[in-house]
Amino acid sequence: MSETGGPDVTNELRLPWDDDPEDLYEHAPCGYLTTLPDGTIVRVNETFLAWTGYTRAALIGHRRFRDLLTAGDKIYHETHYAPLLSMQSEVHEIALEVVGEDGRRLPVLVNSVLERGAGGAPRIIRTMVFNATERRSYERELLAARREAELSEQRVRVLQRIVADLSAAPTEAEVAEAVLRAPEPAFDAASSSIYLMDADRDQLIAVASTDPTTGNWEDMPRSSPRAVAEVARRGDLHVIGTLAEADEHFPDLAESMRRSGRATVVLLPLTAGAGDEQAPHVLGVLAFSFREERLLSDGELRVIRLLGQQAGQALDRARLYDDARRREERAGFLARTTRSLDEEHRLLQRARRLVERVVPEIADWAAVRLQVGPAGLLEDAGGPAPDAELLAGRVADATAKAEPIFAVDGDGLGCTVLPLTARGKVLGTLSLRMAADRRGAEAEKFFLVDLADRSGLALENARLYEQERAIARTLQRSLLAADVPGGDPRFAVETYYQAAAQDLEVGGDWFDAFLISPHKLAVVVGDVVGRGIDAATTMGQLRSAIRALASAEHGPARLLEQLDRFCERVDSARMATVVYGEIDLNSSELAYACAGHLPPLLHEPAGSPQYLLQARSAPIGSRAGDRRRTEHRVRLAAGSRLLLYTDGLVERRGRPIDRGFEILAREYARRRDAPLKGLTAGLADTLVGRDHADDVCLLCLTLGTEERLERSIGADPLQISLLRADLRGWLVGHAVDPDCVNAVLLACSEAVANAIEHGYRDDPFGVVDVSATVSADAVEVRVTDRGSWRGPGADFARGRGLQLIEDSMDEVFFDRGEGTTVTMRRHRGGVS
Amino acid sequence: MTDQWVSFSQHGIAELVHLKGEIDLANANDIGRAIVAHTTEANAVLIDLTAVSFLDSAGVRLLDFIVGDLDDRGKPIKLVVGERGAARMTLQLCSFRTDLLSTDLERAAAELGR
Repeated sequence: MSETGGPDVTNELRLPWDDDPEDLYEHAPCGYLTTLPDGTIVRVNETFLAWTGYTRAALIGHRRFRDLLTAGDKIYHETHYAPLLSMQSEVHEIALEVVGEDGRRLPVLVNSVLERGAGGAPRIIRTMVFNATERRSYERELLAARREAELSEQRVRVLQRIVADLSAAPTEAEVAEAVLRAPEPAFDAASSSIYLMDADRDQLIAVASTDPTTGNWEDMPRSSPRAVAEVARRGDLHVIGTLAEADEHFPDLAESMRRSGRATVVLLPLTAGAGDEQAPHVLGVLAFSFREERLLSDGELRVIRLLGQQAGQALDRARLYDDARRREERAGFLARTTRSLDEEHRLLQRARRLVERVVPEIADWAAVRLQVGPAGLLEDAGGPAPDAELLAGRVADATAKAEPIFAVDGDGLGCTVLPLTARGKVLGTLSLRMAADRRGAEAEKFFLVDLADRSGLALENARLYEQERAIARTLQRSLLAADVPGGDPRFAVETYYQAAAQDLEVGGDWFDAFLISPHKLAVVVGDVVGRGIDAATTMGQLRSAIRALASAEHGPARLLEQLDRFCERVDSARMATVVYGEIDLNSSELAYACAGHLPPLLHEPAGSPQYLLQARSAPIGSRAGDRRRTEHRVRLAAGSRLLLYTDGLVERRGRPIDRGFEILAREYARRRDAPLKGLTAGLADTLVGRDHADDVCLLCLTLGTEERLERSIGADPLQISLLRADLRGWLVGHAVDPDCVNAVLLACSEAVANAIEHGYRDDPFGVVDVSATVSADAVEVRVTDRGSWRGPGADFARGRGLQLIEDSMDEVFFDRGEGTTVTMRRHRGGVS
Repeated sequence: MTDQWVSFSQHGIAELVHLKGEIDLANANDIGRAIVAHTTEANAVLIDLTAVSFLDSAGVRLLDFIVGDLDDRGKPIKLVVGERGAARMTLQLCSFRTDLLSTDLERAAAELGR
């Protein structure tokens, strides 16, 4: 064929890339199919046949392309491939799987072109098939990797949230709760439970579970053979992958796995402070389980261990925090209790306050028993009370050993008994029943012992106070109760002592009245500095000293000088104040002296009350004050009333003393006509009332016999006997004979009773005026009321009263105007 | 509450009531209640008034009631009063039956037993 005559190489020699088109078609690196528009295969290359294992004859004219696809892809072919091809005339890179002759699946990518004839009708489809086996497996790996990454990310997110929760959880219980919620979202666990270590009791306590029907919920000692305890001892993660493994190592776990349908269990110790060289400190165990057997990847195991450490640290922190808070609470409680006990001085009240502070703050029941007095003292609070017999036994034990006996689980009593000791002596016991979770802890024991120590001391102090107070009061009472002279018509003395309210100690106020000679009466009111037994003792000494030193010759000034000297031996008497008066009963002359004391108040029958301001000098034994003792003399009219008193009567916080003096003078004047009996008590009641912080001591002396007795009393039957006392004294003072005295007393009482019962039947504030005069031959009494009196016939009994008046008196006149005046007269020296 | 004015003891077959101090409108009712509480079951009653320093019509009413009550039940009663004194005066003024009054506790007790 060559013009030059060169060899014709076109037939023998073909260039390597000069492919034979037929061979290229058959052995192309891709499958090639030609199908009719309905998919029937009309031509197929060798490559496709080799990949699928079909013979040419089996395919051509017999099979459609879609017949070669997997069931899923057949649908895909109908729904996507065919419509797309029909619309666009070509499709690219459709991923399908071809099922080979032997059933193997071949992942392929398919490009197809639809050839159309004249007029656009589909004529033929040419399909190129690429083998995509490698590409598919690569895709699958990618997918798996992505899924794994997603799971890991989810775990990390769950753990991050839990770590955040842990760091925010301030208490052990909240940490436990947060840890417990981790395994289900993080690892798809079926349920989880948490056990915490109680180091004091060396026990593992099951605290919470997401499914309490699983597992064994009893607390276990750390030495228990149970799987949880084993893990707590070893301190490393245990994965029990199958029931068989559980059967082999932990029969208890296998049993509960069977019961609750679990195949895999993870036991994770919660550890803190894990240095490499030392065993980690196990604070608890987290157990979680799966229904199916679950193989945990290395990544998951790493994350689980991390969870254990994070949770452990959080628990450790919470425990420290809990401890600190509890310590703070205990310290606060002790401080508050001590303060609160200090506010009460009395023993009973202190004991009461102690049990009331303890219940309910630290115990649900508490009792204080003290061995004081014959019967002892028992105060309890809360309830229900424990078994009395068991408790008595424990109380006896604790008392005998002088050591606390702490409640232990299952001791049948549940009460801790603490001996209350002071100065090495057991005073009694404090018994407590506390909530079970407060038992046992060492710190709690220290706290209770501290509480008992403080309480013991406080109660002992109260007991001593009580003792001293009782002695002081007895001493004071015995001194004050000593008889004041009476029954002498020349004078009458009325005294009153009112102890300070608010349970304060006894004060050093005292009064005294005694006859120095048959015609000389001494009256004293004084006040010793201080309170309690010392003051009471000193008061007694001063009182005796005055009685011993008083003499008919020397007078008040000299007596005070002698008391100054007395002070040099009895220093506690220094700065005592004293008002001392001597009354000559024949001449009615008063000589008085005031050593730093408030001035006496004198009310003579005419005029208003006057303070006696002369003869003043410094308190007894004063070093800075003026100790030149002087005395002053006053002649008293018959019927004069002299009032001596201590500062408690007039001194008020926030009120000038002048004001106190004014009020006293006014009240005293207002009672000018009140019976002497009850006068001092009435004054104290009006001026200080019941709630006062100081002792009050009063002495009122009535001198001589009034010519005319005038009294006004309230419409109260109790007042009649007070009036009678005055009237009797006055009658005797005027030397009226006993029969006449009795008759006048009876008639006057009946008349006053009538006025109260009838005149003032509807008026509790009514006043009955009584006046009496005496002449040489008769006594006349006048009783006046301003009430609405009813006739005598209205009441048989009062009728008898009127009859008694008529019978016991010689003359009786009734004057009924506004109210009623009964005037009665009785001759002296014999019944008519 | 009434202990300062009234106390009780047994004297032979009689319930012995000791009264003392002043008996008047203010305390007669309370004293009366205390006496009735002790004498409703008694077979005989002696009331010793020798220590009474004052007795008014309220006291008389009280004694009158007790005497009447015992008379109704057929039980004997005696009031012991001093030769003189406030109680005797008041009871005499009220004309208490002389067979009720005695000046001697032992004699009164003996008379009760008859």
